[in-house]
Amino acid sequence: MKDINSGKELVNKIRSFLKNYDFEIIVSGGKSELTRFAESYIHQNVAETDLNLIVKVINEDRIGAVQMNSIDDQTISKNIEKAIEVTKITPKLDYHYRLLKPQSYKIKSKYSEQTANFTPLNRAQLVSQLIKEVNKKEYEAAGAFKTEESTILVANSEGVFAFDQGTKVDFNCVITRDNSTAHTSFMDSDINNFKVNKITDELLETALKNVEQIEIDPGVYTVILSPEAVAEILNYTGYTAFNGKMIMEGKSFICNNQDKKIFPETITVSDDPFDELTMPIPFDLVGYPREKIDLIKDGIIEDGVYDHLTALKYNRKCTGNTLSPEYASFGALPFNLVMKEGDNSVEEIISSTKKGIYISRFHYVNILNPMSVQLTGMTRNGTFLIEDGKLGRAIKNMRFNTSVVDMLKAVDMISKERQTKAGFIGATVAPYLRTNNFTFSSKTSF
Amino acid sequence: MKKILKNILDWLELKVSYADLRLVQTEKENIEVENGILSSYNVSTDRGVGIRVLANGAWGFAASNNLNKVSLRETAAKALDIARASALTKKEDIRLAHEDKHIDTYITPITKNPFQISPSKKIDLLVRATKIMLKDKVKKGEGSFSFYKTHKIFISTEGSEIEQTIFESGGGITAYAIGEGDFQKRSYPSSFGGDYATRGYEFIEEMNLLENAERVAEEANQLLAAPPAPEGITDIVLGGSQLALQVHESCGHPVELDRVLGKEISFAGGSFLSLDKLNNFTYGSPEVTIVADATVPGGLGTFGYDDEGVPASKSYLVNKGKFVGYLMSREDAFKLGLPSNGAGRAENWNRIPLVRMTNINLLPGNLELDRLIGDIKEGLYLDYNKSWSIDDKRINFQFGTEIAREIKNGKLGKIYKNAVYQGITPEFWKSCDGISSEKYWNVWGVANCGKGQPEQVMRVAHGTSPARFRKVKVGASK
Repeated sequence: MKDINSGKELVNKIRSFLKNYDFEIIVSGGKSELTRFAESYIHQNVAETDLNLIVKVINEDRIGAVQMNSIDDQTISKNIEKAIEVTKITPKLDYHYRLLKPQSYKIKSKYSEQTANFTPLNRAQLVSQLIKEVNKKEYEAAGAFKTEESTILVANSEGVFAFDQGTKVDFNCVITRDNSTAHTSFMDSDINNFKVNKITDELLETALKNVEQIEIDPGVYTVILSPEAVAEILNYTGYTAFNGKMIMEGKSFICNNQDKKIFPETITVSDDPFDELTMPIPFDLVGYPREKIDLIKDGIIEDGVYDHLTALKYNRKCTGNTLSPEYASFGALPFNLVMKEGDNSVEEIISSTKKGIYISRFHYVNILNPMSVQLTGMTRNGTFLIEDGKLGRAIKNMRFNTSVVDMLKAVDMISKERQTKAGFIGATVAPYLRTNNFTFSSKTSF
Repeated sequence: MKKILKNILDWLELKVSYADLRLVQTEKENIEVENGILSSYNVSTDRGVGIRVLANGAWGFAASNNLNKVSLRETAAKALDIARASALTKKEDIRLAHEDKHIDTYITPITKNPFQISPSKKIDLLVRATKIMLKDKVKKGEGSFSFYKTHKIFISTEGSEIEQTIFESGGGITAYAIGEGDFQKRSYPSSFGGDYATRGYEFIEEMNLLENAERVAEEANQLLAAPPAPEGITDIVLGGSQLALQVHESCGHPVELDRVLGKEISFAGGSFLSLDKLNNFTYGSPEVTIVADATVPGGLGTFGYDDEGVPASKSYLVNKGKFVGYLMSREDAFKLGLPSNGAGRAENWNRIPLVRMTNINLLPGNLELDRLIGDIKEGLYLDYNKSWSIDDKRINFQFGTEIAREIKNGKLGKIYKNAVYQGITPEFWKSCDGISSEKYWNVWGVANCGKGQPEQVMRVAHGTSPARFRKVKVGASK
């Protein structure tokens, strides 16, 4: 599917195969290339082109979905026949399935020609530059550098037609020398915003501080979280607490806390495709236009996000968060998580902290208790003591078992600066923040 | 199609020191049912070719879903371009451990082809099972099945030509008991989607879902009313399903040689099992023997050949507590001067082979389960994973389980909810002083092992029988 016209042709072709049935389709494809390096050389370097077509046939509240990555007439026809057969044998839904009516869309994905045309050699040259610089300080570099051009089309038999093209640069790197490490990540649509010198300098600055780590005891601490760490917490919170289906089923923290002011007024979290720092996703996978949805506003718990099926089943409004039919049973996820900025500079947050811990990054976060949003995970690649307002000695990694609810209740400083990090679906925009309630439960040996 | 692939390989032959082509075609059927209502029925077909080349001493890989000759030629040329770009940073030429040429076929032995069982029969089984679970506080009963048929052709410049057809079947049920401000779940036969195997529909029939649905629901209801697990240091017995994930995270991953060599350090992490520890490190107690065995009948990590054309094999990772072996691809095995043990696996045509688990099995001991539990004065029996986390060198771990049972004076007692246990990998395995016998041994399929960038989800398995560990830190999530 090269352009919008080939998308229209494909929709017409499917319409001709499905004259007597309602349908929804999702077409996604593009090219994705990734250069991976470790031990300061490129050890994996890959490229793929693919195109996926999902056809969902709706026959009197019976649904069958087929997916294929070949779109010749014979393959489409054969698969569609299969989907029709499925709708004849499957039981009816316990609610009426309505197709979305045609919509208009206010935003588009960000697109950069330079990113779309970035070559393996271009990526290798930047990686080589980074490696040379860190090698001078006897560090080794490992990471991944992805450039991607993607196309998506969502349409249905009622006339919904949503077409979008975007580009993405996704970079991460860890540098190591014995136990000294640092990590960084970068996400943007435009390769021109990728500044390898700046990234290299930041990595070396952190790594050179992250040496001779000391052990500290588990306990409750004041911590300052980097945007990378905040984004990870937000991603898991979005996944477990703000999925509308889990709310409807009584399986979310939100169930008993909606409209309550739980957090300080400075805490505002939304699913916001219009935020200037995010990478907007313009519509969901049934074609709903994306809107700004407040999840927590001025410390008050608002609501979650809803997919088309959950909205129909429970008579709610779909918020434009429908996933692919393959994940329909899960419910919905925020696509563009955004935490509102605060008033403080990062320097102010650190200098006003008498005793605390700075966390650069988490590793292997998982949900311990969805009802209290208690998460667990490890620190990684740079954890530091803050003493008398200064970033001090590096500390060995710790395991945390902490409730996000308790953690956010105790937030007293949020930075003006925010950064764009990877989300579970799209990007997550997060500031630095300080909380006075963060529980470490054990430690490790490095 | 094979002829086109060979043409491409011929074209590449003079330009590379090595190349392989993999055609992968997958048929998948996925069924999900909630409370007796079908919530999702998806079938998919997927096919494509991945071309991997070693040129200028470096790797290049390109993959496409377009299978015509012109497109595949372009894909091959792209792989060559990528290899040239990779060479910009190379320290030395990549070399591969020797592998014999293989011309062979492999088909998963199955009794009932799952794709020939009518969808309505499969749906009906899940409808009935999920309805049975709707008792008392169980407000949600969900069930799912997934079936895969994967046809692979592998050809290489070394002359190998391997054709494989792999069948995989799996699924399970989960009951959610939902109360005011709390919910508890119980799954069967295992958590997170159930159990999986390289078997046919007979595997589903042997699960006896209908016979177990009521018990599962009852346990979910009991959990909702149960107290949280106590905190402290105590003796534990891990049931087979939970022990499978313990083996996965604390042995399966740290023995992956690519992690040890730093190739995953920026993403999945490294390993504490550094090269100096090979044959020189006490990983666990003498009770603990762990093997990688891709030949176990029915294991989810069972195949004829890996995705580098290396035959399935069995090798020791931990032998009577001593660390003795890694999981290896051809490239990484060469660095140790060893042959590959057949662990180079790719998720699909559009991914390169990485070092992946196959069936990583904790061999059974000789104890009856009664005896295993009977020797504990005070402790917990923990099973069915609910949460998992481990540090990036695979040392500090913490797991949560769906259910815990008190052990008092050698007998199982009341149920506890929200149990977690923590440990340090080698200390934990050294505290293992009993493993139950083959009678209790099962190969558990784990269908969601993630690794690599771009990420690859691999289907692997772990043979386990319940085992006993002394003085473990336990508690409850809050």
